[in-house]
Amino acid sequence: MKVVNANEKVSIKLRINGKDYEDVVEPRKLLVHALRDLGFTGVHVGCDSSNCGACTVIMNGKSVKSCTLLAVEANGADILTIEGLEKDGKLHPIQEGFWEKHGLQCGYCTPGMIMEAYFLLKENPHPTEEEIREGISGNLCRCTGYQNIVEAIKYASEKMNSKTD
Amino acid sequence: MYPPKFGYVIPENIHEAMEFLESHDDSRPLAGGHSLIPMLKLRIIRPSYLVELKTLKDLQGIKKGSEYRIGALTTHYEISKSGIPLLSQTASVIADPQVRNMGTIGGSISNADPLSDYPAPLIATNAKVVVISKRGERSVPFDQFQKDMFTTDLSQGELVKEVVVPAMDGYRTDYEKLERKAGDYAIVGVAVAIKEEEGVVKDVRIGLTAVNNKAMRAKSSEEILMNNALSDDLISKAASAAVEYANPSSDIRGSAEYKKKMVKVMTERALKKVRK
Repeated sequence: MKVVNANEKVSIKLRINGKDYEDVVEPRKLLVHALRDLGFTGVHVGCDSSNCGACTVIMNGKSVKSCTLLAVEANGADILTIEGLEKDGKLHPIQEGFWEKHGLQCGYCTPGMIMEAYFLLKENPHPTEEEIREGISGNLCRCTGYQNIVEAIKYASEKMNSKTD
Repeated sequence: MYPPKFGYVIPENIHEAMEFLESHDDSRPLAGGHSLIPMLKLRIIRPSYLVELKTLKDLQGIKKGSEYRIGALTTHYEISKSGIPLLSQTASVIADPQVRNMGTIGGSISNADPLSDYPAPLIATNAKVVVISKRGERSVPFDQFQKDMFTTDLSQGELVKEVVVPAMDGYRTDYEKLERKAGDYAIVGVAVAIKEEEGVVKDVRIGLTAVNNKAMRAKSSEEILMNNALSDDLISKAASAAVEYANPSSDIRGSAEYKKKMVKVMTERALKKVRK
C-alpha cells in the first residue's frame, strides 16, 4: 500500500501523444493543470463544475474531462490531446472538417470539441445528426451555435469512412 | 476550482482499502470521481485521505446468471452497453459521454444524490446492494440502502461491492427522464417494468426519482394496473395516482407544482411505451 500524505508530492508517469513524461505532483493537483504545465496548453479550462468539456482529452481510449481527474489518478495512463492529432503536419480529418465547415470562431472549445468528436467517431463511425448532437452534449460552445460543428463532424465522418471502407 | 490538500492512498487489494478507510476518520474512497472531485473543487468536503479504488478487481465486471451482478466500479458507459433491461437504458441518459466514461454505479448510489437516475430502476426492480467490509459481506435491499438524500446504509470502512439486479425476463421496461438539456440531472425520472400475459398486467413496477429525498415505488399506481388491460383510461388513472408519491421541492429546475404534474406526464409516457 502506498500512502502519500497531504503535504507530500508523488511522482507519476503519463504517456501523452505517444511520448513518456514524468511529473511530481501534489495529490490534489488536477490532471488538466498537470497537462497544461507540461506544455499541452491546447487543453483548456472553461468552468469549475465539470460542465463545459473544454478540457476533454482521450485517456486510455475514452474521452474524459481532465478537470475532473486528479493527476495522480491518471498515473500510467495513455493520453491523447489535440496536439497529438495531426500526423507530420497533416491535419486529422476532424481538424480539417472544423476548418472546411467553419466549426470554430474563438477556438477555445475547439480542442475539447475535436477530442470528443474523435471519441464519438471511434464509437460510432456513421452517426446521425441527432447522435452527433447527443455525442457532443458534454461540450459547450458560446460562438458557433453548434450547427457548423455538426457539419464539421459529418464531414470528418464521411472522409474517414471513405478512407477505411 | 482548487481542491483543499488531502493525502492519497493506493491500496494493493480491497482488504487494505477497507482497513485504511475504517481506521482513518474522514477518509473517502475514490471511484470515478465525478461527484467527489467536483465537491472537492468547491471545498464542500475536506477529507483527510482519498483511497483509490480503480485497480481493485473484486469491484469490477458484470456477471450474468439468473440475475446481473454488477461490480461497483462498472462505469455508466459499460452498463449502457451491456444490455441489462431497464438499467442500460437508464445509464445511457446519465450526464454526458465524458461523465459516463468515468462515473460508476457504486459511486452513484453511495453518493445518493436525490436527483440521480439509477435509484428509479433499482427500486423498481427490487435490486440488492452487496456491501463489503472487514467483517465480511452483507446484502441490503436497495430500498433500505438509500436512507435519505446523500445518506446511505454504509458505515465507515464499508464499500459497495456489487449491485444485484434481477434479469427481468419477460418484462418490458422503460426509463423516462425529463431534463432541461442533455447532460443535466433529472427534473423527474420514471422507471417502469411490466409483465403482461394475454393482454393482462401480471406484474408492474413503477420507480420515481428526483421528486423525493430518495426514490419511491408508486404502489397505488401499480395496484390500479394489476390484473387489468392497459387501456388509455387506466394508464391515465394510474399516472395520476403516481403524483401522490411525489413530494418535490421548488428549485432552478422548476416549481414543486410543475414537477408533480410532470410525474403524471412522464409516468403516462413510460406506461404507453411499454404497452404492447
